Amino acid sequence: MVQGSFKIAIVGSGPAGLSAAARAAELGISHVLLEAESWLSNTIYRYQKGKHVMAEPDVLPLRSPLTFTAGKREAILEAWNSGTAALGVNIAHRARVSAIGGQKGAFTITLDGGDTLQAEAVVLGIGLQGNLRKLGCPGEDLDWVQYQLDDPDEYKGETIVIVGAGDAAIENAIALADNNKVYILNRRDEFDRAKPGNLSGILKAIEDGKLTCLYNTKPVAAEDSPGGKRLRVATNDGETELAVDRIIARLGATPPRAFVESTGIQFPSKDPNSVPAVSAQYESNVPGLYIIGALAGFPLIKQAMNQGYEVVEFIEGRTVEPADTPLLRDKFAVLPDITDIEEALATMQRRVPILKPLTPLQMREFMIDSDIRAPADGEIIFQLNDYTDTFYSVVSGTVEIEVDPADPSKRFTLGKGEFFGEMSLISGRRRSATVRAGNQCVLIETPRRSMNKLINSVAAVKRVIDEVFLRRIIQGKIAPTLPPEEIADLVSSAEVRQYRPGELLFSEGDAGDALHLIRKGSVTVSREIGGKDVVLAYVPAGQYVGEMALVSDLPRSATARAAVATETIRLDGVAFKELMMRRTQVRDRVQEVYRSRVAQNAVAQARPMGDVLEFMMSQGLGEATDVLLIDESLCVRCDQCEKACSDTHGNVSRLKREAGPTFANLHVPTSCRHCEHPHCMKDCPPDAIKRAPNGEVHITDACIGCGNCERNCPYGVIQMGIQSKTKPSLWRWMLFGGDEPGRYHPAKKDKSAKKATKCDMCKDLDGGPACVRACPTGAAMRASPEQFVKLYRGGR
Amino acid sequence: MAQTPHGSFLRHRGYRYLKLGSLLCIICILAYWAHDPADGPNGGSWLGYTLGTIGALLIGWLAWLGVRKRRYGSTMGTVKGWLSAHVYLGLALITVATLHTGFQFGWNIHTAAYVLMLMVILSGVFGIGVYARMPTLITENMGTSDRETLIDEILDINQQALKLADPLGPEVHRIISRSTERMRLGGGLWAQLFGPLPPGRRAIDELRKIVADEESAASAKVFDPQSSTVMFMAGELSQAKKRGEIAEKSRQLMELIGRRNALIVRVNRDIQLHAQMQIWLYFHVPLTVALLAALAAHVISVFLYW
Repeated sequence: MVQGSFKIAIVGSGPAGLSAAARAAELGISHVLLEAESWLSNTIYRYQKGKHVMAEPDVLPLRSPLTFTAGKREAILEAWNSGTAALGVNIAHRARVSAIGGQKGAFTITLDGGDTLQAEAVVLGIGLQGNLRKLGCPGEDLDWVQYQLDDPDEYKGETIVIVGAGDAAIENAIALADNNKVYILNRRDEFDRAKPGNLSGILKAIEDGKLTCLYNTKPVAAEDSPGGKRLRVATNDGETELAVDRIIARLGATPPRAFVESTGIQFPSKDPNSVPAVSAQYESNVPGLYIIGALAGFPLIKQAMNQGYEVVEFIEGRTVEPADTPLLRDKFAVLPDITDIEEALATMQRRVPILKPLTPLQMREFMIDSDIRAPADGEIIFQLNDYTDTFYSVVSGTVEIEVDPADPSKRFTLGKGEFFGEMSLISGRRRSATVRAGNQCVLIETPRRSMNKLINSVAAVKRVIDEVFLRRIIQGKIAPTLPPEEIADLVSSAEVRQYRPGELLFSEGDAGDALHLIRKGSVTVSREIGGKDVVLAYVPAGQYVGEMALVSDLPRSATARAAVATETIRLDGVAFKELMMRRTQVRDRVQEVYRSRVAQNAVAQARPMGDVLEFMMSQGLGEATDVLLIDESLCVRCDQCEKACSDTHGNVSRLKREAGPTFANLHVPTSCRHCEHPHCMKDCPPDAIKRAPNGEVHITDACIGCGNCERNCPYGVIQMGIQSKTKPSLWRWMLFGGDEPGRYHPAKKDKSAKKATKCDMCKDLDGGPACVRACPTGAAMRASPEQFVKLYRGGR
Repeated sequence: MAQTPHGSFLRHRGYRYLKLGSLLCIICILAYWAHDPADGPNGGSWLGYTLGTIGALLIGWLAWLGVRKRRYGSTMGTVKGWLSAHVYLGLALITVATLHTGFQFGWNIHTAAYVLMLMVILSGVFGIGVYARMPTLITENMGTSDRETLIDEILDINQQALKLADPLGPEVHRIISRSTERMRLGGGLWAQLFGPLPPGRRAIDELRKIVADEESAASAKVFDPQSSTVMFMAGELSQAKKRGEIAEKSRQLMELIGRRNALIVRVNRDIQLHAQMQIWLYFHVPLTVALLAALAAHVISVFLYW
């Protein structure tokens, strides 16, 4: 029972709210901390026992009356419990807020159960986790129905029903199946929400009989009957009953958005990932209502705690230099004239239009992730064909883009406020041109992940980048010499289309109504020959398909199909033909591509490689940049490749020679394909997976061993392992036996945490990939898709 | 060896080492032909010493392949290049060493070293042969699968068969468990090289007999003209049905065992092909060690008795 009137009411006792309450208590301000559960920091409380909690970013100083260092979940919670007790924080447990009304100076907070309390200011620190969804049927609150699984090894010999079909449900089910009889209840007939790794894992477990899946099944009631615990379920064939010991429901959480919106706070877009905009003082669009922590877009514990401290200072009317200002000052060190960071950030936002829609906090975050560069006049920023994927904004001065690789003097200038590097960011391919710094050039260089985060959270940024990308790629690929006005019609006719793997762009015989510029992914071109679809060509991102029908006015002469998830820019045929009529150079250029493609197709048909190309496409060639291939007619199965990999990479081999599919004599061992848009990068908490300038996708020491990449890789090429620095001596092995180099596995004794390991194409070794260099017979080789097509067509 | 886009070690860099080896042979033969020592061609002439030195250096370098191929971080050429050179220069060694002998042979350590060298080279030539032939045979036998998967499948079928056999009475159970116990994958060197005996047909034959018995029993009883009462008929009918089921399950078992045996044959063939592909190394390497010892003895003795 909480009632009364407070200066500050803090909702949610996560790191942000807890820190705010602690600061208020420290200053002796009247406050209340409202927490829905019976303990503090529910999200961290729910972490698996003994979980190691990180304190990123390392460089950021902590500013809070409470302590926080990286360590075990238990130690952190204990420190917070004793810290809040010592400071005398006024905590109200089991106080779930159902409504917030009123205005600055006089908010009314209503709790579940009808209690109300008053506050002058409200701080929302409720995070994004939301409330866990319950079973939604009678018995959902029984003590043997749980919504969390801390330690799968706690349960042995039980009959457990897992309800849900998401990643958490699958991971729990597979982990429990080792020692228990497990059922997994799926409302639908497939696991379409799961990550690929979990999907194949659960399907295999079901096939192997490790656990039983009940598809199209819903729980109806959980009951304690005289015969024991029972779960009644409804299937397509009617109701039935299961005798169980435990039910674990993993049904996700209801996002707090609806509640937040009910308080009057606005979200910038419908995107479920978007968060409300807040001022530099963390104030939302509702005056007096502050948002801190993950809900404000800051998911890291340390940031959240700092904001808790700062928000109380702001409410008290004091100004605080944000904790990240020293970091920003370091970023601006390359520009010695700048002293006022706030002012400098604001100037940058004024000068660079795509940064305008960012909130001040987003801007700070963006700059902490980015680097400011002031390259000398003429310095190369990146080279044509580099594999870097950072994004650049021009703050002042100019950059020169070399348009024609054959003639470096042909240049195109970008000035203040413009940006570049978006092609590699979107297509995942090599840099399409060399860029040099011009006079007085100052740039912001932003890593891929931060840029993608921005694109996904700020709709205006995405729109501007997409528009510029569109204009530039159309101009670059079709009319490099024409002024932008000439192609305006064509650009406005363009639309972005998305295709699933295997989906058709167009079919042989269709009327040719459009040209497709491939923006992301890749496409195979095939033709029906002798009643069979024969793949003639592979077309990667950055090129176009469909020009033949437009040039010749005949129906489509071939079928184009997305090899992987693909995005194309569809250019309308009519606008395109008009441009060709008007401008002979466009027609000449397209006709040149057309002629070379006709010639290519003739070669392809004379030397068909359809089946092997199709096989390779099924192995991810369509999104690969480099694949390890073994010619089995040469391979003497000596495993030199594996041994070389292991010996040069801390005794953990990143390739399995024997595993992987074979077609005719071509074997694709389990080894990284270095995808254009690496699946492994998608969900890496410490952002430890990087792409090196030559295209190698590699994992840095920042890996925390969470295993997300291993699960996300559709090709199963990432292993969790423990690398060791010691290597056995070759001579000792030759003379006295013992551990052989390349076959040494000391990891078994090592108890340190496993980290993700994958092929890095030996980027740190001279001479290229060790697997290929160690192959005695020439069976192993690495090839890009283009090289593969060339080699296997015999056109060396 | 078939033309492949990957490029075999034999064709490395447009047969660079074949050309180099041939050149070495031609120079040695020309020198031998031109050279006319007073006491006839022998290892003690200046040409003899030169050829001997070249030969000894070559042998040392050829043996060094064993070290180089395990130095995985080495950037001194590729192992493929080394192997290519190893093959062609190893073959050239026959010419160099033979000319070095001056065709003087006897029952001594010198000729012993020469013979050992020829044996090493011969085993190597055999190696080239199997390396050219076996990889394709292994792929053809395995298809798209691999050994581990097949073994898993075999063990899986054994489990299934035992499960299926359980309700069919002790006799069938005995047949199946004996058959699983007796199955052989791989084995000693002999079994690996020449293949273990193929899985026996005994289990299948016995099962077939059971199927036949049960089927005939099932059909015979139903149409027994002696059985007159309804009750008796009903009992017999259910008996017949049961026997029919036993026959049906036994037939399934036969199929399972047959499928398993086919897999066993494939796995054993894989083991056999691997063994045949690698056995030569068990001669080539120890003979090389023996050759190095004999060569050392040969060199030391020549200098001692000079």
